[in-house]
Amino acid sequence: MENRPPISPHIQVYRWQISSLVSISHRITGIINIIAITLICLWLSLIFLSESKYETINLLLNSLAGKFIILGITWSFSFQILSEIRHLIMDLGYGFELRTTKISGLIVIFGSVILTIIFFIIGKSFI
Amino acid sequence: MVQISLPEKSKVKKGKYFKDKTGSKNLKKINVYRWDPSTGENPRIDTYEVDMDNCPSKVLDVLNKIKNEIDPTLAYRRSCAHGVCGSCAMNMAGKNGLACTTPHADIDGDIDIYPLPHLKVKKDLIGDLDGLYKQYQSIEPWLKSSSKSEVTEIFQSKEDRAKLDGAYECIMCACCSTSCPSYWWNGDKYLGPAVLLQAYRWIIDSRDEERQARLKKVADELKLYRCHTILNCTSACPKGLNPAKAIAEIKKMLATANI
Repeated sequence: MENRPPISPHIQVYRWQISSLVSISHRITGIINIIAITLICLWLSLIFLSESKYETINLLLNSLAGKFIILGITWSFSFQILSEIRHLIMDLGYGFELRTTKISGLIVIFGSVILTIIFFIIGKSFI
Repeated sequence: MVQISLPEKSKVKKGKYFKDKTGSKNLKKINVYRWDPSTGENPRIDTYEVDMDNCPSKVLDVLNKIKNEIDPTLAYRRSCAHGVCGSCAMNMAGKNGLACTTPHADIDGDIDIYPLPHLKVKKDLIGDLDGLYKQYQSIEPWLKSSSKSEVTEIFQSKEDRAKLDGAYECIMCACCSTSCPSYWWNGDKYLGPAVLLQAYRWIIDSRDEERQARLKKVADELKLYRCHTILNCTSACPKGLNPAKAIAEIKKMLATANI
């Protein structure tokens, strides 16, 4: 039998850094946001169709799972906004020092939670 | 392509356990990736109990101790032992670095040692870097200037010389490239941080006359723009260089230059 060389372990053994965590989360939230925008568009179209359909969606979004989804989407957008700003600054060539990347990464992570709360409170005041 | 799990033949099995024979009280467990090309078996993790009372400070010293005193079959590259040659680049405690400059005291608990990630393993901790060297060759890492300057000195201002700082110090140990997930998934096309840092080093050299051609060559969706600023490269570099910044500078040049 041919003795083919193995591939050395990569993602299985490599320790996560704040910067790599933010980078992968940026991708994941990006995909979530595309799906979320599609759903929001669908939801809006349904509002125009009839009142009963609006009521169904309203009930769905006010359930526990619905609230979880809304919070999740809010966080996902918050994260994407902050992370994108970080990327834009990096595209200008700033913020590449190790310490700075760590701090900016932490700002994105904790900032996204704070931004979610702010968005939630603002949203609440409209209802 | 993104590939999260290892192929069946690359899966790591549990290996042998080498119990301490010195009777020392200050023991550390060292888990080392082993693969023997002559057997056709899967890679395995061998565990060595090492007496830390009689061991110098760096991870390379631990490996030397294992090879000299416990298991002479262990294979790994090393040469200068002073962070200059870049031979002993490997993955220690989940991060790439040079074994000769990484203190073992900085690692809590057992020390896991793997070869540089996502390479074809030649034996134990030795990975195949041929692909990276070919990519290095592809950027033509030498000074290109017209024939007249071949007989006279080419002057360089202090400011222009300073631009090379942070780029010329690279020892091509491959810690950065093999830490990059983009390079793991697209290593056949994406040049990776090490080679791009060197591409940058020649692009910004004031004495070089092929700047435009060099930029044009590297301006490619796969060769350059697979960098998504994950920044594993910069955090892995044992020389404290910043390949991610160099790549960003190349992108900036391409965005602003007329080529």
